Amino acid sequence: MAVPENMLCSKTHEYVYEEDGYYYVGLTDYAIEQLGDIVFVEFPVVGEVYSKGEIFGTVESVKAASELYMPLTGRIIEIQEKLIENPELLNENPFEKIWLIKVEAEFFDEDRLDLIDYETYKKELE
Amino acid sequence: MARTYLYNNHIKLGAKMVDFAGWDMPVQYTSIIEEHNNVRNNAGLFDVSHMGEIFVTGKQSLEYLQMLVPQDVAKLKNEQAVYCQMTNEKGGIVDDLIIYKLEPDNYLIVVNASRINADYDWFIEHTKGFEVKVENKSDVYSMVALQGPKSIDILEKMGIEKSKQPKSFYIMRTKLLNCDVFISRTGYTGEDGFEIIIQNEKVSELWETILEKGKEFNIMPVGLGARDTLRLEAAMSLYGHELTEETTPVEAGLTWSIDKDKKEQYIGKNVITNQLKNGTLKKLIAFKMTDRAIARSEYKIYSNNQEIGYVTSGSVAPSLGENIGLGYIKTDNNLKINDTIQLMIRNKLYNAKISAKNFIKKHNRVN
Repeated sequence: MAVPENMLCSKTHEYVYEEDGYYYVGLTDYAIEQLGDIVFVEFPVVGEVYSKGEIFGTVESVKAASELYMPLTGRIIEIQEKLIENPELLNENPFEKIWLIKVEAEFFDEDRLDLIDYETYKKELE
Repeated sequence: MARTYLYNNHIKLGAKMVDFAGWDMPVQYTSIIEEHNNVRNNAGLFDVSHMGEIFVTGKQSLEYLQMLVPQDVAKLKNEQAVYCQMTNEKGGIVDDLIIYKLEPDNYLIVVNASRINADYDWFIEHTKGFEVKVENKSDVYSMVALQGPKSIDILEKMGIEKSKQPKSFYIMRTKLLNCDVFISRTGYTGEDGFEIIIQNEKVSELWETILEKGKEFNIMPVGLGARDTLRLEAAMSLYGHELTEETTPVEAGLTWSIDKDKKEQYIGKNVITNQLKNGTLKKLIAFKMTDRAIARSEYKIYSNNQEIGYVTSGSVAPSLGENIGLGYIKTDNNLKINDTIQLMIRNKLYNAKISAKNFIKKHNRVN
């Protein structure tokens, strides 16, 4: 999958992009590469509202647990269920960006202030 | 950050490097799980050059070492090794180490990287009144570990035929690549294998030669990530986690490495003898998660909504497909194997089950 044009990334390595009126949140390929073998993903409760900056889940590699932070405020309407049984899919397709959660939200401009586009994000890592 | 003499080899192999006890070490080359499984099924090569080598020589070497550890060093035959701990006055563990008797009055002691300086100071401090010489040669020697069921075949390819290879917990002095080396049948993975100590200048060539000769046996370089999961599956303790100056070998479940009949005094003997007789307030347990969650160091352990201890190591166990861990609990609750405990993980309690300390069948037993 190509990187969606409107995709934004956070300093904590989540990305968010919009498609057909919904927002999709996931973990960047860089973060996945850094974590190594991913063995566990903990998801939020579907239907709940999470605020921007709030922890919505955890991704665990062999070595460590990493918390996931909401890049925007919104209601969780779907989680990537196949990752519950097969978290390694994240490693197998790091460039195909498997989103983690689908969110219903209003994405306010002020919530975008600390987010950067993917190109800038990549450059800042160098 | 310090670098081993294999640093360039790691970079060339594309290793991901991390800080370990002040050393820039490879955590993985390809994938921790893949490297882990390869050690269980074939063979793996580890850079453990950060570990320390301390030599004790002199007329009173034996008496001196007897005073430092709960094991009976007098029972060692020439070229035999023993796993033990160096204990302080409270019975706490200064470090865990392997003592190799090279010959009478000549011992090699391999110690943890993070403890080299603390150990050396401890050794020197206690030489008073003994006719011994203690030398820290950690900066002179490098060390690699060749581990896994194919290790014996690979060492044979290196020119040491199987019948000449040291037996479990023995060491030999020989030549590899025209260089004097120590080869011991020891390790930290639960698999059969060897640890090879060689002078710094030759370790890069040794590393490359082992990887080359081991190709037909599917050898892989293995990082510290898999080293940790391998040792945890073998329920082996890690200094700084299960073992500290505040924990005794009895609390850590290492009573098999204490010689209960040892006549000689050693530092901490009163505390240890008392604990062997009367028990301890805390003890190390092994556990398996029964709920879907992964234990990590420092998570709290609960029983009946009471906090009873803490996790010292936790991870997925790639060979088992389960999540396992080690931790300390208070002994006053009489919990035993198969009893349920809970772990507090991100403010929620998850169930786990106390397990025997044999997650896997060990192939290179120290106990």
